[in-house]
Amino acid sequence: MNKQKSELSRTKIFSAIKNAKPTVTMDVKTIQQEAFELLKESEFARPKLLSEDATQALVLRIEAGLVIGTSCEKISTLDDLPNSVNQFFDKHSLPQEIKVQGIDKLEKLDWEGISTDSDIENDNTVGLCWAEYGVAETGSFVVHSSPKMPILLNFLPLYLIAVIPKSKILHYMDDYALIANEIAKKGETPRNMCLISGVSGTTDIEGVLVQGAHGPEVLHIIIVEDQ
Amino acid sequence: MQVNKPEDFTKNVSKALAQPDLKKIIRRTTDKAETKRTEAVANFPEFENARSQGQKVKDHTIKYMDHYLAEFEKNALAQGTIVHWASTGEEASKIVLDICRQHKAKKVTRSKSMLGEEIGLTHAFDNSEMERIETDLAEHIIQLAGDPPSHIVWPAMHRSREDVVKLFREFHEDPTYSEEITDLVRSARRDLRNKFLTSDIGISGSNFLLADSGSSCTVTNEGNAELTITPPKVHIVTAGIEKLVPSMAHAVPLLRLLTRSATGAEITQYITFHNGSKRPNDADGPQECHIVLVDNGRTKMLAEGMEEMLRCIRCGACMNHCVVYKHIGGHAYGSVYPGPMGSVLTPHLDSLEVANKQTHACTMNGRCEEVCPVNIPLPKLLRSLRAQSWQKKYEPLTNRFVVQSFAELAKRPRLFQLLSSCGVIFMKVFSRKGWIKYMPFTSGWTRNRDLIEPGSTTFMHQYKKMKKAKSGGA
Ligand code: SF4
Repeated sequence: MNKQKSELSRTKIFSAIKNAKPTVTMDVKTIQQEAFELLKESEFARPKLLSEDATQALVLRIEAGLVIGTSCEKISTLDDLPNSVNQFFDKHSLPQEIKVQGIDKLEKLDWEGISTDSDIENDNTVGLCWAEYGVAETGSFVVHSSPKMPILLNFLPLYLIAVIPKSKILHYMDDYALIANEIAKKGETPRNMCLISGVSGTTDIEGVLVQGAHGPEVLHIIIVEDQ
Repeated sequence: MQVNKPEDFTKNVSKALAQPDLKKIIRRTTDKAETKRTEAVANFPEFENARSQGQKVKDHTIKYMDHYLAEFEKNALAQGTIVHWASTGEEASKIVLDICRQHKAKKVTRSKSMLGEEIGLTHAFDNSEMERIETDLAEHIIQLAGDPPSHIVWPAMHRSREDVVKLFREFHEDPTYSEEITDLVRSARRDLRNKFLTSDIGISGSNFLLADSGSSCTVTNEGNAELTITPPKVHIVTAGIEKLVPSMAHAVPLLRLLTRSATGAEITQYITFHNGSKRPNDADGPQECHIVLVDNGRTKMLAEGMEEMLRCIRCGACMNHCVVYKHIGGHAYGSVYPGPMGSVLTPHLDSLEVANKQTHACTMNGRCEEVCPVNIPLPKLLRSLRAQSWQKKYEPLTNRFVVQSFAELAKRPRLFQLLSSCGVIFMKVFSRKGWIKYMPFTSGWTRNRDLIEPGSTTFMHQYKKMKKAKSGGA
């Protein structure tokens, strides 16, 4: 019954559009060409970055306080990560407990006594995730859902550390859109692609900004130079 | 709170103007938004180019709407999304409720979407056996208060901190006893956390629908969309058909415009593309994904030459800069969409007969068009609605009489000038220290503000005198 009704509405909507625009051409090649032409304007319609080097631009953006609740650091190799995490615990007076994303390159690190399997459903936890990409324009890191990437890992903890491989830092959001397109062509689009640019915030009560509305209150980005 | 109706606009306005603090409360948020937007635009010299690109992207998609809708449907189905179509808001609400019932849902979490309000989803749930939980902080506040939203970006801007303190103490399981805003936000965080994790269905809107992938995109500062969508078994997206763009690359220029225009931030914290249901072995995510594509007056706008309005990306900049909105707030409009964009949308979503007064409230100062990130000519659209309203005889008889008399008078310049001169003398009788507090036939104006005393003579009189002086001097 619902299916029939939905079909009927579909027909109604399409015929209403056709009746409203009877003269519009529907040659797919023309439409695609027109759509493609529009993207050429992006070069002149996006903001200048703080540096021509994408990593530097991302770092400068965060250091200038333009990414809400976010700090960053660079480390030379992944082996330095546990040490950085320990410094993060010290800075925020946190116990040595964290939920590390379950991927090999993170799991096989020597975590020097840090407990790495906290329950993210509890508030106050620290999460650590591996970002697929970074975007300098917006100071974002990008995560893709997968068997090894629970999306909630990025949203439930009060503290979040995101590790971005230097080689995957892109200049603009447009560059990420091109990559997403390539992934789609391979039929490998994940369920979720999240661009995260700062911490969970709200200005809903009297316009005052509060961090940690539902998700992280503190975000620390660690860029790994040899990755 | 009693819900206002659009047809009672005049009464609603009087009620709003009689609230002493309302204007202050509205301006606290809108003035800040105005300043921050100005800064954001100043820091983005390419803004005009982005605006022109954004407009073209929307116009292109609207021009080929049937092509892109069909493409979106094909690709969404390929991702495993179940696609539904709804001609009206009522149909859309029913589809959503039926899906929830099929899954025997008890608890439903919802992340803010204006379309959800437009199609009456909130009321539909409140009249059902299911519990609706709003997860955006502002929506959470107005749900507890039983208010309709008063702004499309800050729906609870009419509520003060003191109101929130009272509401949270009354409704939260573990409320805070502090009145600090940070503590209030923490109280909501505690209250909503478990609800996110135990919800049966997650409902979201969509800021953009990507035709080439069948994806929907959510944009939030709080991250509540992802928390709403990920834990439950089923995700339902409700979206207007005008949300389409060809691809992610085409959504990017609009994303650059959206937050800068809405809050003055360069980007929002969370932009997520949702591509169907959970993949095999994914660590989390819903097992089933539905999308309800809603018309509800949009194709009518297309047919009636109002397609420019379909560019709207719901940033709220037009209302933040509107002198009328800043005086009366969102509730006076009596509809889901207030301000300039609402005055154009409501006559199509509801009817011009009930919402024609809103189109007349505009001062035509043009600020809304100046700040609209996709160049929607709001004053032009409002003028065209006024013309339709006149043709359909929706104006009260007194208004029609006054306008018709003026039209007749304007054709007789001598009589017009004579009566204008009499009018000036008449007005001066009521003037005290340069202001008129009361005068017959003007109570609509003088009830809430004074009228300035006119000059000593009419404009035409002064103009003629000046011209004469000039030609005499030459
Ligand atoms: S009409 Fe323009 S300014 Fe108003 S909400 Fe829509 S996009 Fe924003």
